[in-house]
Parts: sequence; structure tokens; C-alpha cells
Amino acid sequence: MSRAIVFQSVLGLALVFGPAVGAAQAFRHQTTVYSDPKEAQLRRPEGVACGAGGAVVVADTGNARLLLYTYRDGTLSGGTQVKLAQVPYPYRVQLDPKGEVLVLDEKLRKIVRLDAKGAFLGNVDLQGAPAGVLPGSFKVDGAGNLYVLDVLGPRVLVTDAAGKVIRQLDLPREGAQFTDVAVDGGGTVYAVDAVGAAIWIADKSATAFKRLTESRKDVMSFPTYLAFHQGKLYAVDQHGGGIAILGSDGSFQGRQLALGWGPGLVYYPAQICFEPDGAVFVADRGNDRIQVFDTGR
Amino acid sequence: MRSRTALLLVFLAAAGPALGAPKAPPAKAQPAAAAPKQGNPYRLKTGAEGKLCLDCHADFEQKLAQKSVHTPVRTRDCVGCHNPHASDHGKLLADTGGQICARCHGGMIPASAKSLHAPVSEGKCASCHAAHASNFKNNLLKGGAELCAGCHKNLVDGIVAAKVKHKPVENDCATCHEIHGSAAAPSLLKKDAPDLCVGCHRPDGAIFLKKHMNYPVGKARCTTCHDPHGSNKPGMLYDHVHPPVARGQCAQCHEPPGSPNRFKPKQAGVELCKLCHAPKIGEFTAKARVHRPVLEGDACLTCHGPHASKQAGLPRANLTVVCGECHADTIKRQKLSPAKHEPVGAGECGACHDPHSSDAPLMLTGANRIEMCGKCHDWQRHSSHPIGEKVKDPRNPNRNVDCLSCHRAHGTEYAQMLPFPTTTDLCTKCHESFKR
Repeated sequence: MSRAIVFQSVLGLALVFGPAVGAAQAFRHQTTVYSDPKEAQLRRPEGVACGAGGAVVVADTGNARLLLYTYRDGTLSGGTQVKLAQVPYPYRVQLDPKGEVLVLDEKLRKIVRLDAKGAFLGNVDLQGAPAGVLPGSFKVDGAGNLYVLDVLGPRVLVTDAAGKVIRQLDLPREGAQFTDVAVDGGGTVYAVDAVGAAIWIADKSATAFKRLTESRKDVMSFPTYLAFHQGKLYAVDQHGGGIAILGSDGSFQGRQLALGWGPGLVYYPAQICFEPDGAVFVADRGNDRIQVFDTGR
Repeated sequence: MRSRTALLLVFLAAAGPALGAPKAPPAKAQPAAAAPKQGNPYRLKTGAEGKLCLDCHADFEQKLAQKSVHTPVRTRDCVGCHNPHASDHGKLLADTGGQICARCHGGMIPASAKSLHAPVSEGKCASCHAAHASNFKNNLLKGGAELCAGCHKNLVDGIVAAKVKHKPVENDCATCHEIHGSAAAPSLLKKDAPDLCVGCHRPDGAIFLKKHMNYPVGKARCTTCHDPHGSNKPGMLYDHVHPPVARGQCAQCHEPPGSPNRFKPKQAGVELCKLCHAPKIGEFTAKARVHRPVLEGDACLTCHGPHASKQAGLPRANLTVVCGECHADTIKRQKLSPAKHEPVGAGECGACHDPHSSDAPLMLTGANRIEMCGKCHDWQRHSSHPIGEKVKDPRNPNRNVDCLSCHRAHGTEYAQMLPFPTTTDLCTKCHESFKR
């Protein structure tokens, strides 16, 4: 089939299916990180975060360490190891606007703050939070505010950069298990329910979440991580081996990646992050690696 | 004819699994009422009905001598069910089995049924009833529990083997169950618990109250503690009883029976369980990955029944059910898979996963997956594709080849739990030189 025919076919599909096909960004495999610069293999990496200036932090969970990289012009460099007693089981990782690293440790169930070079600054103390908070996940917005998923609430606690609780958003108790939150540039908060495969939403003035989507088991099996990027929600479908993409209105936009072991495929993916140039980093936990994809932006 | 087939498919779709209590079919699928007989469609001579058939079917004399003879047979109305010339259905039936029966027995399915017996919804009346005659009432093929044992063998065997028997169950399953369908309750029950139970057991009776440590449990769901089919424990408690319940120490967890909040647990969530199980819970939470239900919400009670259970460890139900409440996608994968991984179907999730906590991803009980699989699949130790620490996966330098390199433990849509349609597809993922 000639390229012209292929192009016409794709264009035809885009016209027929409209945004459902046209809106989903194709993930093209670019490179894979299997080990650190000293050839020590990654082991069950659960987290990856992208920050300003090309900073990339990998939570190499199985090796109880973080790896600090720089991503510029499509090239990943560095890979400095950070191994701290305060972070024995790094699980989720984020970078704040100042370039500081925030790590949720799964074993200690605490959020820890490190400087850009990985030096320990302290635990994030959620001041004014209800007793018995159990962080299950968290995000950071452009102002450095934290959005902490308290799985015991269940609720989302919004704190300022210092960790003082400034807002509390209740999540429904029954029949759901929330695994992550995401926040957009306007302060709207999203939460993903892995069991129901549904997204919930709370706008800037809300005190509780409301349903954005019904169960989308048809397009995602067990979504455990949620990212908001350029107007779209990216749900990491851990059990389904892929990324489900939804519009901010909850509409299904498509799926990317598939289950497998070879380059470009994923096996129990855990976390995703986006670089401004369109690169997408995926913590491919089951494959013991970090994969980098290009979306052409 | 097509519409009738479609009707039956609607029934089947609504029926769910053959065992248990499927959901009721939509109301439109129910035969409204017995259709009137259409005169004499075959213009049979007077007296020819039945008598004519018996000239050839002489063996019917024996059937007619049985205790319960189906009315059309007794009245020699063979053409009520059979077409004497030709038919699209077996035995020259004028319609499918279920539809034939529905012509006269249209009221068998209650309106807006909450549960429906699978053979009824599937139109398989003949799995319980003899079409012509039998020696049991209502033309049943066998009597009482012996008939039910045809499908519910494990249940009936359990009833027979139980040391402590429930008298109504010994008498007849129909004491508590509606045989065709129930408009009132799930599991074909005539009423839901406790309403059904208090029909015989007076909850305000002195003995009843004493047995329940004076807690007014008349409105509680009896089947959370008691096995209505009988058990091996006094009081027909399920075979595995929480020790405080067995000792009658309800107040160990609940407020005293005379207090206003008598059923309220003394402490919320996991804190109540810690009163006795603190060391165990400490072990769970010391591991890197703690299963979310252990820590949040109702904690232990998310998965465990606090009083009694059919299974050791007091899970609320078979683990396929308990785990499937959150991991429906995993259980569904197994159901759709042509190859079944036995532990999943048998509710033995704990064979591979630790339901409380683990240091390994996916809550696996061991870090070495080959060893884990080898506990059951010992053949792989002496006869298999090379696997293990020394065998690198060509697709990924960070992975060794192990069982999960080629199989998905909960099944796939393909044979042998392979992730690809054919063995060739699988092998050539690594052995690329053999790709055609």
C-alpha cells in the first residue's frame, strides 16, 4: 500500500470518528532506560516524574533508590543514584516548581521532600490534617500546592507548599477504591477509582467530588495513576497494560501502548510523566525499565 | 420461530450461570398465560386422538400406569405437544421444549422475579419434569433432594454429611425455596432472611435469646453466622467460627446487649481487630506493600466475616467472590479464558497472592515466580523451555525468562493462557529468525 493511500485511509478514519481518533496522541517508542550509568539494572520502578528544565526523577523501587536524570533535546543524561534511609520504598514521585523532589514512600507511608540533587530536606508534615491520614498518592500544582489522596478518608487534602492543609475534598466511600489524583491548571481536581474504572471531579470551589464518568471498564481494566496534560487525562491502566486517554469532559479519546515485553510495550505500567517537547516517560514496572515515547509535539 | 429463538436467548442472557440464582429475565420474556388450545388443527377423526398414537406407541401403556401422568397424556391429547407430521424440533415437538410447556404452564415464572431457577430460564423443563408421566408428584423425574442433587450435588452431599442438620432441609428443598423462581428473594428463597427464618424460629423466645447472649438479633441476617443447610458446628454455625463467637463472648467486640448502641463495635475499623490480632496486623503493615483494604475503610471486615464462615480464615465468601468485588477484571479474564487456572476458579487466590501484604509487586507470596508456579507445576522443573536466572529474555535485558514470560496467570482469550493467538506468534516474539 502506498504512503498516499495509507494517509488517505487515516484521514478518512479521522473524519469518520472525529475527535475519538484524531485527538489521541500516538506514543512512538524513542528509548528505554534499563540500568543506571554503572550498569546496575532497574528493578520494579514504580515512579517517574518530569520537571522544569528537563529534570527527570525515577523511583527505582525494587532497588530502594531514586535516579536523577536530565532530559534535553531528546537525550537523557545523568542517572545519579540517591539512596536514603528515609526512603526505603519509593513509590510515587513528583517534582515541584522549585525543582525539589517529593517522594511518597510506600512502606513508611510518608511524603518526603528532597532538594534537586536528592539531599533529604524533611518529611512533608500535613499540618491541620485529620488524624490518621494515610497518603496513597499525591500531585503538585504549578504553585507548589500538594494534592494528597488520603485513602482512609477517603478524601483529597490540598495543602500549601509548606504542607498546611488549606482545603479538604471528600470522596465517596462506597464501592470505590481511589488510587490517584490529578490537577489541571485551573485548580480542578480529578480522582481515579481503580475498582470502578471511573473518574471523579471537583472544581476549584467544590468541597466534594462528583462523578465525571460512569464506569469505563470497557476501555480500562484497573487504572491506578492519573495525569492531566494539555487538556487531557491520561489514566495508566496497570492491569490492562496501556494508557487510556480521556478528555477533560470525561469523553474517551483513545488508548495508547499495549501489553508486552519488547520495546514499546508495557507490563503493569505504574506512572507516567510528560516533558514539554512531547516526550512521555512511563515507569514500566513489570518490565523493570523506564520507557520514553515521543508524541511529536 | 426466530422470534422465539431470540426470546430464549434473552432468557439465557438474563439467566447468568447455570448454578446459583440467576437474575430474572425481562418481563416481556415471560409467557403471559396459557394459550387456548386451537380446536382440532389436524382434523383427527373422533376418538382418534391419542388412541391412534397408541396403536404404534404401545409402550405408553406402561407410562399411563405411573402415579403422575401429564394431563395431555391422560386426555390422549398428543397433538397438544407434538406435530404428527413433521417438526423442526426433536421428537416431533411442535415447538422448543420451554415454549411447548409455556402454552399451558404460563404462570411458572413470577412477575418481576428476583431470582430464577436456571433450567426454567433456559426452557429446560425436562431436566426436572417427565413430559409424559412419572412416579413422583408434578411429573418430577425424582423425588425431593435426590432430584436437586442432579445439579447441586456438592450442596446435597454437604447436607447429607452435616453433623448438625436443619430439619426443613432434610424434608424438602421446597420448604424454603421456590422451585421455579422467587419474586421475593435471591437464591429462590420464598422470603429473604431473616423473614424466612422467623417463620419457624421465634426471636423473642427465651432459648433463642439465651443462645444469642440476649442480643436482639431478630432483624439480623441469620446467614452471616448460620449455615441454613446444616453444618458440623453446634447451632448450625458455619464450620469456621470466630473464637469469641464460639465462646459466646459477643461483648468482647460489641457494646453490652442492654446498651442503646448494643450492636456497635467497641472500636472502629482495624483498631477493633488489633485488640486481639495486633501482632498479626503488625506483621502485615511491616511489609512494603500493604493491600489497601487492610488499612482503609472497614479494614478487616472488607474481606472477613467477623462471626463465622464456610472457609478457614473467615473470609466473607469464596475468595473468587471476595477478591472479585474489587478485581472483577481479573476474575472476568479467567472466566473468558479457554484455559482455566485452577486456583482462580477454586477461589484459592492465596495460593499465589498474599491478601494482606507483601514485599513483592502484585502481592505475590514469593519473589521467585518459577518457585511459586513450581509448587503445583512440578513438571516445569524437569521438562520445559529454558527458564531461570541464567536465561535472559531476548525482548528485555532486565528480565529472565520465567513462567510469566509466556503465560498470563489469570488467563487470556487464547489457549494455554498465552498472551498471543498462536504458539508461533508467541515463540517468534523471541525467536525472530523463525518469523515467516
